[in-house]
Amino acid sequence: MTAPTDRQAVTPELEAAAERAASRRGVLIALPSWAYLSLFFAIPLVIVLVYSFATRSSTGLTQLRDWNLDSYARLWDPLVGEIALRSLLLAIATTAICLAVSYPFAYYIATRGPTARNILLVLVMIPFWSNFLVRTYAWRVLLGTDGPLSQLTQALGGEPIRLLFTNTAVLIGLVYGYLPFMVLPLYAALERMDWRLVEAARDLYADGWTAFRKVTWPLSRPGVIAGSILVFIPTLGAYVTPAILGGARTTLLGDYIVSQFLAARNQPFGSALSIAVMSVMLAATILYFRSGARNL
Amino acid sequence: MTDAVTLQGVTKQFGDVVAVCDLDLAIADGEFFSLLGPSGCGKTTTLRMIAGFEFPTTGSLKIHGQEMGLEPPNKRPVNTVFQSYALFPHMTVEENVGFGLLMKKLGSADIAERVKRALDMVQLTHRAAATPKQLSGGQQQRVALARALVNEPEVLLLDEPLGALDLKLRQAMQLELKDLQERVGITFIYVTHDQDEALTMSDRIGVMNEGELLQVGVPQEIYEHPTSRFVADFIGEINLLPAVVVDHETVRLLGNHPISASTGAASGNEVTVAIRPERFELYDLDEPIPEGMNRIEGTVSRRIYHGDVFYYDVDTPAGVIEAKEENRPGVELYEVGERTIVVWAPAATSVVQE
Repeated sequence: MTAPTDRQAVTPELEAAAERAASRRGVLIALPSWAYLSLFFAIPLVIVLVYSFATRSSTGLTQLRDWNLDSYARLWDPLVGEIALRSLLLAIATTAICLAVSYPFAYYIATRGPTARNILLVLVMIPFWSNFLVRTYAWRVLLGTDGPLSQLTQALGGEPIRLLFTNTAVLIGLVYGYLPFMVLPLYAALERMDWRLVEAARDLYADGWTAFRKVTWPLSRPGVIAGSILVFIPTLGAYVTPAILGGARTTLLGDYIVSQFLAARNQPFGSALSIAVMSVMLAATILYFRSGARNL
Repeated sequence: MTDAVTLQGVTKQFGDVVAVCDLDLAIADGEFFSLLGPSGCGKTTTLRMIAGFEFPTTGSLKIHGQEMGLEPPNKRPVNTVFQSYALFPHMTVEENVGFGLLMKKLGSADIAERVKRALDMVQLTHRAAATPKQLSGGQQQRVALARALVNEPEVLLLDEPLGALDLKLRQAMQLELKDLQERVGITFIYVTHDQDEALTMSDRIGVMNEGELLQVGVPQEIYEHPTSRFVADFIGEINLLPAVVVDHETVRLLGNHPISASTGAASGNEVTVAIRPERFELYDLDEPIPEGMNRIEGTVSRRIYHGDVFYYDVDTPAGVIEAKEENRPGVELYEVGERTIVVWAPAATSVVQE
C-alpha cells in the first residue's frame, strides 16, 4: 500500500493528464453506440448520398462514374410534385387529427390520480405489444367491404362502405398507428405542468377557457412540438400503411421511393428522392423547434 | 361596517378526511389577519376556499357581505400570492403583473400605467422586461405581490409567501409587507406555520390545528394568554407543568406545591400550567423575594449559552423548569448543581385545559 506521503502534489501537468484520462473513459463508454451508428446508419446514408449522383445504366445497374445532377433535376417532374403534395397533405392531416384526439386524452390522463394514470398509460402502450404490420392488416379486415364496419352500415340499412384502398383508409391507419407517439409526449408535458399556474390565472380573473389558452397551452407546447414531429416525420415517408391500406392510384413518397429501388431499378433517382425528403424534414424540424423554443 | 370576510360554520371534507371543521371567523376590513398552524391543520384549505380554488362542503362564506362560497375564483374580488409565487414562466415581469388587468379588459394605456405604478411600489421597474427565471427569489416574491396588488383586490390572500426565502431576506420582507399593508389599506389574510412571522406582522392571529380554529386574538393575547395546551405549546417556548385546581386563584403543582394563578376551572380539575421561560427569574436561596410572587426551589441541572441569553434547566419537585435569562453585563451565573429559587408572577401563569 502506498503511504499518503508518497503522493505527489498536484501540478498543472498532472491535472491535464487526469483530465485526458477522464475524457478517454468517456470515449470508451460511447464506443459501442458510435460503432453501431456508424456501421448501420452513417455509412448507408453516405452510400445513398453517393448513389444520388451516380448514373443508371440501360440495364438498371448503378454505375459509379459520370457523376451528375440528373436525378436531382428529375425532382422537378410534375409527377414528383403531385406525389410530394399528396404525402404532405396526408402527413399534415394525420398530425392534426392525432393532435386533436390526443390533447384532451393526454390532459385527462395527466389530471388523474397516480393509479389511474399508470393504468391509462399502459393502455396507450398496449398496441406496441403486437407487430405494427399485423395491426395494419387487422385494419384491412375492419375496413373491408365485408368487414364489421360495412356490415354495421348495411344492418342499419345503408350501403356497404368502400373505404379500403382509399386515402381515407390510409389516413385512418396512420392516425391509429401514430396516436401513441402524440399522446406520450403530450402527457409528459402536461404531467410536468405546474397547476398552480392555472390557479393563478383563474385568480387573476381568467375564466377556464382563457386560463387554458394563456397558460396551459403555451406551457404544453414542447409536448405539442415533440408529438407533432414524431407523427409528421414518419407519416411523410410512410410506406407500410399506404402499401397495405392504400390503392394503386394513391402513390405516396414512401412507395414511390421503394418503387425506384425495386421496380424501376433507378437507384440514383431513388437516392436523390430520399436525400431530398430527408433534407426537407430536417429543415422543417429545425424551423419548428426554433419557433417553439422562443417561448419556452 | 361589514367585515371583509366572514366564514360561518364552514366545513370542508375531502372524501372521508375533514380538512376544515365548522369554522366561524370574521375578518375586519383593513386587517392583517394570520392563520397560523402546523402543516395539515387546514389553514391553506381555508385560504383556498376564500380564493375559490376549493368550495366549502357546508357553511357560508361571505366577502363584504356577499355569499361567495360557490363562485369561481375569477368572479371573486380577491387575489392570491402563492407559496411558490406561481409566476407565468412564459411571460415577462410586465406581462405577469398586467395579466389580471388584461383579463378585466382594461385599455392598454391604462394597463401600462398601473403596471408601472405597481412595479414602482415593489422597486422592480428596472426588471420589467425580464422573465421570472432571471429574477432572484426575493424579486420573484415582489413580482407575485405586485401581480396581485395591481388589481386592487378587496382582500389579498397570502399562502406562506416568504417560505422560500432565506432568513435575513424573510425578516426584511416581513417588515416590508407590514408597511405595504398599512399603505394600501387592503385586508391581508396571511397563512403561515411560522409563529415569529405571525407575531411580527399580524393585527390578529387565528391558530388552527386538525381543522379546528382554536384561538383568535391579537398577537400579545395569543402569546401571553393561550387558552389551550396546543396554542401554548405551538407558539414560542413554554414550560407545561401538570397541576390540579385548588380554588379559583390557586393550583397545586406536582410535589404538592401550591402557586397563585387565575384558574377559571372547577376545583379538583386536572389542568396544565403554562409559563414562558423568559418570565422566570432565578434567585439565591438567601435573597429576599418580592411579595406575591410564585416561587419554587430547585437544582440547576444544565446551563446553555445562547449568545444573547442563557438557558437553565432547573430540577424542581414540580418537574424540570426551563428558564431563560438575558445575557446582561454583570448577570449572576448559576453553576450546574447549585440550588436556586425560580420566581415568577402569577399573571405570567396561564392555566389551560387539555
